[in-house]
Amino acid sequence: MAKKPAVQTALHKVIMVGSGGVGKSALTLQFMYDEFVENYEPTKADSYRKKVLLDGEDVQIDILDTAGQEDYAAIRDNYFRSGEGFLCIFSITEDESFQATQEFREQILRVKNDENIPFLLVGNKSDLQDKRKVTFQEASDRANKWGVPYVETSAKTREHVDKVFYDLMREIRARKMEENKTNNGRGKDKNKKKKLKCVIL
Amino acid sequence: MDFDSPDVMKDFPGLYASELNKKCNNDSDYSDETDKGNKKDMLIGKRKDKKDKKDKEKGYAALEGESSADEECKSRSPSKTKKSKSFKFTTKSKDKREKSREKEKDTGDKKKERDKKNDKKTEKEKNKKVKNYEDALDIAEALPIFGVNLETAVERSRCHDGIDIPLPIRECIDYIESAGTSFEGIYKISGTKSKVLLIRKMYNNRQNINLNDYDVPTATSLLKMFLRDLPEPIFTSDSLVRFEEAGAILNLNTREKHLKILVDNLPPLNKLLLSWLIIHLDNISLNQTHNKMTKQNISAALNHTFHSSSRLLHALLHHCRALFPDLTITKYIPPLSSGQTLPDDLETMEIELKKQESLLTQIHTEMNVGCISKEREELLWEVQRIITQLKRKIKTAHKEKEPIVPQEKEEPEPVEVSVEEPIKEPEPIVEPENRPTEPEPTLENTIEHLEEIPQDDDNDKPMILTDSSLLLLKFKNNGLLALKERLERNILEEQKEILSLKNQLLPEKPSVVPSNEGLDELMSLLQKENQILQINKINLVRKIIEQQEICIELKAKLELSNQV
Repeated sequence: MAKKPAVQTALHKVIMVGSGGVGKSALTLQFMYDEFVENYEPTKADSYRKKVLLDGEDVQIDILDTAGQEDYAAIRDNYFRSGEGFLCIFSITEDESFQATQEFREQILRVKNDENIPFLLVGNKSDLQDKRKVTFQEASDRANKWGVPYVETSAKTREHVDKVFYDLMREIRARKMEENKTNNGRGKDKNKKKKLKCVIL
Repeated sequence: MDFDSPDVMKDFPGLYASELNKKCNNDSDYSDETDKGNKKDMLIGKRKDKKDKKDKEKGYAALEGESSADEECKSRSPSKTKKSKSFKFTTKSKDKREKSREKEKDTGDKKKERDKKNDKKTEKEKNKKVKNYEDALDIAEALPIFGVNLETAVERSRCHDGIDIPLPIRECIDYIESAGTSFEGIYKISGTKSKVLLIRKMYNNRQNINLNDYDVPTATSLLKMFLRDLPEPIFTSDSLVRFEEAGAILNLNTREKHLKILVDNLPPLNKLLLSWLIIHLDNISLNQTHNKMTKQNISAALNHTFHSSSRLLHALLHHCRALFPDLTITKYIPPLSSGQTLPDDLETMEIELKKQESLLTQIHTEMNVGCISKEREELLWEVQRIITQLKRKIKTAHKEKEPIVPQEKEEPEPVEVSVEEPIKEPEPIVEPENRPTEPEPTLENTIEHLEEIPQDDDNDKPMILTDSSLLLLKFKNNGLLALKERLERNILEEQKEILSLKNQLLPEKPSVVPSNEGLDELMSLLQKENQILQINKINLVRKIIEQQEICIELKAKLELSNQV
């Protein structure tokens, strides 16, 4: 079993969240297959896997594209639990979707119970500047409040699409390394404690 | 959502933290388990490493995690690591197999005790809604497949091709049909008990089982065990007596008729399972020159399994083709797992998609009840991925098929429609769960607009066919409505009568109490008579309904001719 992690490439699990119609699937498909889908089909749940090169390291990314609609909330929780990083998407052309990010953030924190979960706030549809309803300032203020990065993307022009995925993967990777360290530390402590007990006895 | 209740959320310490926690707190967290372990100790009087094992069993999901802390914990007791392997994979080395067998014996002994607790436990946990692995339920304990009622067993171990018989039975039948029909003394010779118990445990754990690794007696014993463990006989407690009586009828024609009625009145799942079993057993008897198992022998070997007399079984086998005329046993092909290549032709893809969606639904249901493990989550993503791939493939296949008329829905090739329709039908089986039914996004939409066409056609036809047929339908409709009203009134009246009769019954009860042997005999005689009368009644009611329908149709026609 000890050999396994060495051979296996790292796998990072990313979950796309956000209201319906903000472009979660569009971003995912653009990232996965370099294609832009114009017509809108609500997603129930879709999952993708891709091999990518992250800073010279072969890794795999699992992307779970969730439903924006509330109807699928029951399924969504099962996925949230196993997600390692989250892209929280809204459309810069729709204020409601921006307001909804608050709700999504809370939901994720509740399920993961972890303030530092890798998380990016993403304002999509940046190509539609003339229809902008959410200012950059507004969005980055919220991101600052949460302590997460804010990035604007366009699934149509592919602007910053790779960036959000790669940035998130880096955060996940950093997080995992940190976790391993602390876990190792704790594990050793435990052993020591046990030994000590024995001596006393 | 229950998941959102904030107090439960607090308990969720995150993915990796929870695993570690679990490992280290095991002893205290599962004091209940340890208790059980101790009882077991007393029962068997060996195994001092019991507690370790128990921990390993419960912590299995967590052990699967890959953080290095886990590795360390594991390395503390090397035996654990070894065992956890044997627990997961279908046993390969003898050494491992033996260990799991020993373990299985223990759990087998304990099983009954645990089964009793299960029901209560599950319900309690359900309300709690678990948030992390620490609180997660062991699926074999919370949602066992063996020893629960048929409906639950089917729900928990679905064959994802839409045939609703429990997976263990289906796989046993498949295996026996392919490997064992000529095995001498099949169903009479029992398999090694430890092996059977091991497989049962594996099924309860939702592991993949290849029965080819075992032998025919083991498979037959497993099948028998499943049926014996059903809390209610497959003939249902209510109708078992009537089945027995029908089976005892001497006149073959009458017997067949009565059995047919009884079989048709069974709940659908019971009927389906019974049909598969009887046809399967009939197949066995067809090979009696090799396996020495005549219908008589089979009935004698299996009557306990069916909680019935061998006479009844023999009768069912004798009439099996008349009772289940169009059943053929088809081999179950489970949903593909990742790594296997996906099919290319449209029809197979659609079928595969249905299977995967059925599987996904099942995983979600299990997780919603609280059976969460690293492994299950892994599987969840995997199945979801396959579904996504399949949907993409199907979509592209559709696009390739209709490149000439990309926008107009009006005239796609009729071929397409015929491909879609048979697949659309099994739909309700896929999503029977109480989760919100969802408008299937990508694929379903495409299907829907393809289906619009035949509907349009249907709508057009009657318009052209002049309005005479329409009138006829209208008259028929009126007639049926009137009938419905009348029947509803009858029902109400009869309900009133039932109530008043019940009221009369209540005070009279004490007078019935004194009984003696003579009365008992009379009772059973009367019961028999009653049953026969009941069957006759059902037949008559059917006939009446049929006649009424014919009447309505004729009346409608009459009215139509009058109008014309």
